[in-house]
Amino acid sequence: MTAPFVTMTGMSKSFVGVKVLKDVDFDVRPGEVHALLGENGAGKSTLIKMLSGLYTPDAGTITVNGEAMKFSSTRDATAAGIATVYQELLLFPELTVAENVFLGHYPRTAGGWIDWAEVRARTRDLLDQLDTFDLDVDTKVLALSVAQRQRVEIAKALSKNAKILIMDEPTASLVEADVQRLMQVVRQLRERGVGIVYVSHRMPEIFALADRVTVLRDGAHVGTRAIGEVDERELVSMMVGRPIDSLFPKTEAAIGETVLEVRNLNHGRHVRDISFSLRRGEILGIAGLVGSGRTELALTLFGMTPATSGEIVMEGRPVRITSPRQARDLGIAYVPEDRGLQGLVKPMAIRKNVSMATIERVSSGIFIKPAAEARRAVDAVKRLSIRCRDIGQPVGELSGGNQQKVVIAKWLETSPKVLILDEPTRGVDVGAKAEIHTIMGELVKQGVAVIMVSSELPEVLGMSDRVLVMSGGAITGEIDRADATPERVGAAMTAHRVQANGTGEAA
Amino acid sequence: MNLKSLIRHETFLALLLVAVLVVLSFQSDRFFTVSNLLNQGRLMTETGLIAIAMTFVIATGGIDLSVGSILGLVAILTGVFWHNVGMPLGLAAVAAIAVGTFAGFVNGLIITRFRVPPLIATLATLALYRGLAEGISQARSVRGYPDWFYVLGQGEVLGVPTQLWILVAAAIIASVILAYTRWGRTVYAIGSNEVASRFSGLSVEKTKLALYTASGFAAAVAAVIFVSRVSTTRSDMGTGIELDAITAVVLGGTSIFGGRGTILGTVIGLCLIQALKNGLSLAGVKGDGTIMLIGAVLILAILASNLFERSGTR
Amino acid sequence: MAMSMDLPPTRPASMARRPGFLSRLFSEYGQEIVVLAAIVVLFIVVTMVNPRFISANNLTTIFAGNAYIAVAAIGMSMVIITGNIDVSVGALIGVLATISGTLAVAGYPVWVAWFFPVLVGMAIMGVQGVLVAYARIPSIVVTLGAMSILRGGLISVTGGTWISGLPSEFLLAQQRWFGVPSPIVMMVVLTVLAFLWMRYSAFGRSLYAVGGNPEAALATGIPIERRIVAVFVIHGAFAGLATILFATQLQVIQSTVPPNLELTVITASVIGGVSILGGSGTVIGSTLATILFAAIGSALIFVNVSAYWLRAVIGLLILATVLADMMRRRGKA
Repeated sequence: MTAPFVTMTGMSKSFVGVKVLKDVDFDVRPGEVHALLGENGAGKSTLIKMLSGLYTPDAGTITVNGEAMKFSSTRDATAAGIATVYQELLLFPELTVAENVFLGHYPRTAGGWIDWAEVRARTRDLLDQLDTFDLDVDTKVLALSVAQRQRVEIAKALSKNAKILIMDEPTASLVEADVQRLMQVVRQLRERGVGIVYVSHRMPEIFALADRVTVLRDGAHVGTRAIGEVDERELVSMMVGRPIDSLFPKTEAAIGETVLEVRNLNHGRHVRDISFSLRRGEILGIAGLVGSGRTELALTLFGMTPATSGEIVMEGRPVRITSPRQARDLGIAYVPEDRGLQGLVKPMAIRKNVSMATIERVSSGIFIKPAAEARRAVDAVKRLSIRCRDIGQPVGELSGGNQQKVVIAKWLETSPKVLILDEPTRGVDVGAKAEIHTIMGELVKQGVAVIMVSSELPEVLGMSDRVLVMSGGAITGEIDRADATPERVGAAMTAHRVQANGTGEAA
Repeated sequence: MNLKSLIRHETFLALLLVAVLVVLSFQSDRFFTVSNLLNQGRLMTETGLIAIAMTFVIATGGIDLSVGSILGLVAILTGVFWHNVGMPLGLAAVAAIAVGTFAGFVNGLIITRFRVPPLIATLATLALYRGLAEGISQARSVRGYPDWFYVLGQGEVLGVPTQLWILVAAAIIASVILAYTRWGRTVYAIGSNEVASRFSGLSVEKTKLALYTASGFAAAVAAVIFVSRVSTTRSDMGTGIELDAITAVVLGGTSIFGGRGTILGTVIGLCLIQALKNGLSLAGVKGDGTIMLIGAVLILAILASNLFERSGTR
Repeated sequence: MAMSMDLPPTRPASMARRPGFLSRLFSEYGQEIVVLAAIVVLFIVVTMVNPRFISANNLTTIFAGNAYIAVAAIGMSMVIITGNIDVSVGALIGVLATISGTLAVAGYPVWVAWFFPVLVGMAIMGVQGVLVAYARIPSIVVTLGAMSILRGGLISVTGGTWISGLPSEFLLAQQRWFGVPSPIVMMVVLTVLAFLWMRYSAFGRSLYAVGGNPEAALATGIPIERRIVAVFVIHGAFAGLATILFATQLQVIQSTVPPNLELTVITASVIGGVSILGGSGTVIGSTLATILFAAIGSALIFVNVSAYWLRAVIGLLILATVLADMMRRRGKA
């Protein structure tokens, strides 16, 4: 048992008063693949960002090779031998492979010029070590596929003599054949003594590659096991298992007739052959991990990224939804995932945000009726218990929970028949969370059909009448409330789906 | 964007204007006379109309550099339609304005349909429209318009220069639209957060298209006024007017990044610039010296605006 | 970053065949080749209409007379590659030319008359660079303001007079080096040097990085602000060098701003393949594009089309190039 190269002890971090990481321990040994597992929001990304120097911990120590370290920037981490391959690849499309690998740390000639021959030779060598013999070092990155670009990122990390390589969801955008090749590369790196932190939710890969696996949940460390001592069921259980508390006042509402039917809906890679139906008064939870296609499905239903094929039937009538405005007119509303960017105009007052999707209702002709607008805003504030100074306050000054309520208020103004909520309580404090759930309960009593996309399993299980589970752009499970357990949902979230043409697509 | 900070900026600007007027009236006794002030009003109409339209464009985070060229093109076409094609002058002017409005529409198409950044799109059309003006006119100018035409640019209505009425009317209509209508609200929303505007169902593309068309229209009307004022048409008319207009808009408190700005601010900014120009010329500085001043004012205005934004006065 | 291009599932995506030399050359330098082809086609067509087009005299006029634009476009290309723009270069050259001529007439050594303006150009552009990089004022605004300050200043101070009585040693542009007019030599040498430098030096590469992906550039530790100031200073130097060619062409210098110069220079860069979104393009392209315009301008005369249409043609060319660039990017994304 080799001593760990990097040890993290007692790592804690809070954002805006919300504790995202609580006293987590983690270590990586040279020549091991250490998988990091957890739901969305479990704290994985925060942990690796602290390791790579992007975040500073509120508490805890990082030791590298026995020495305590403080990373104030990514440069410090790189100097200590820690490199990261992010999902969002940081490459320059117009520069060549070799240039990207050595940008910022070129080998120089005696005269101080860049030794391009050396740059190209070393890049070639690095790529060969990664079994990538056929990638030309002089190709511009924009001509490469995602798999190839990833290879360049790994070469970049190696060129800085990384001892620890953090890979964040490396196979999320790869086709099966490339996944296999990547796993080869990871094995080789391990052989060479590099310690790899493998953040992923793909069970087959974890069991094929990892030596150890650590599970985080709700910002806390649940357990670290050697891979031989544990099986998939146990891992899923560690990931999601928790008592379902009565945080969710699930009121029973009468479920009525079908209001929305979706058949064989397609859009790009992330919405594949989706079919489901939705009834009045129902809360349909959509669970899945990052990249499973939930938001993409919502955007397709909302008309932001219109479907390329398939049918949508709204209240019995087939419709083609090609713009948000059209969706709104049909009675579909969408409370977006990113409220700061997509949901609110932050410098603007609450009342202006509330009326933004229904400005015609508070106008006579082209003129806005300030009194009518103010009245509706005041009503909304009261109805949803929005804590603010007054309706003229810029929305950007409100807390996360209250901002979210403003977005919900905006869309409630449209009197929707179908309300899609995307991560409705993300970044929201406990009190506001409960209030939002209460609002949802009242809505369904009034006959609104609700689709709730959420990464918080307790929320999904607590609120939904039915749960749709998505993975890899397809529905991998449809579970009724009575049968919905964390294990069942968790298993469906990490499930494969074999394609119709036989190539095994990793989910 | 709350009422308090809004009032603060325009108040500050108004006080500055008053201060400048006071200083200038001491500097030259020809300044603060009714006839001079009215004349200044006459002179600033062309820039004013363009600046009013430009306020909307910049408030959405865009820019229109081609307005000067549209002005030149419409000026030439007025002369050409009347003199060469033989249209009655009224019709010629209307036809020319229609072309100018269409030129603005083309700008809008390039920007919304082809997603070319407004800076480049209008830089390219700046060249294209000016080029068309030069090519069509072949450097010949048209003169000899009938007397009634000059009433527009050189005449008076109720003792006030004709075009000044037009400017005032335009300013009032524009400020009402921007402050009190749905269209105005959409403009501010797009400038502050275009993504959220789209998600809220606002018609971002249609709005932008309308604004650039309006900008073309404003430049076109300004062209006819210009021709009427100087009694001739030349292909280099309007060169550099975009600088004056943008400076007035920015000085008036509109953020170059969009989301903020009022017509009142633009009008005060316009008056400030005109006052400075007038003051300089009364002090014997030639026309080109004032260009220097405008350039410096532009940079200083944005510098100040950036500082304000950082310190959170919004 | 773009998601993976959908490749056929039968072959692992990373086993891309190495593309042939010609297709690589075309994808890397496509725009430059298009411009070169356009020049060749233009020459052929116009010569068929009017054989005097390719007379030695006319060719010299085309190449030598417009070389200064190509030199200025080198600096401009670098600025645009970093994602900025400069509309003050025309006014700057006017100012520098006046300074140069005044020094020459006042009896200073020619070296001073040639190179002092280069330093002035670097200083003036440097100030603008600082405003853009550190005060975070958009480059269009800074350079728009600078343009008026320079233009207004020039006319106020000089009144647009002609500077005459230039000593003959001063007239560098009329000299011949190795039998070739000096402007052509300078244009070619500077273009090649700049191209090599942009292609192979760390600094040059970092300019592409800054323009291509500013967040990634920051993450890689490139000092973006310093780069931007540096690129503006270099642009000022090239403007100064261009001034030498511009000011020494004739026996006199008119102390005004050469009309449309900034637009022509920007157009040369854009049409030469420098994408206005930043991050790509070469100086060879901008030089070729300058030659193309000069040829078009001359061609218009030789085919008896009024030269007044030149600006319209330029405008159309920019538009066509930018639209094509946009569509190419949308297709790739």
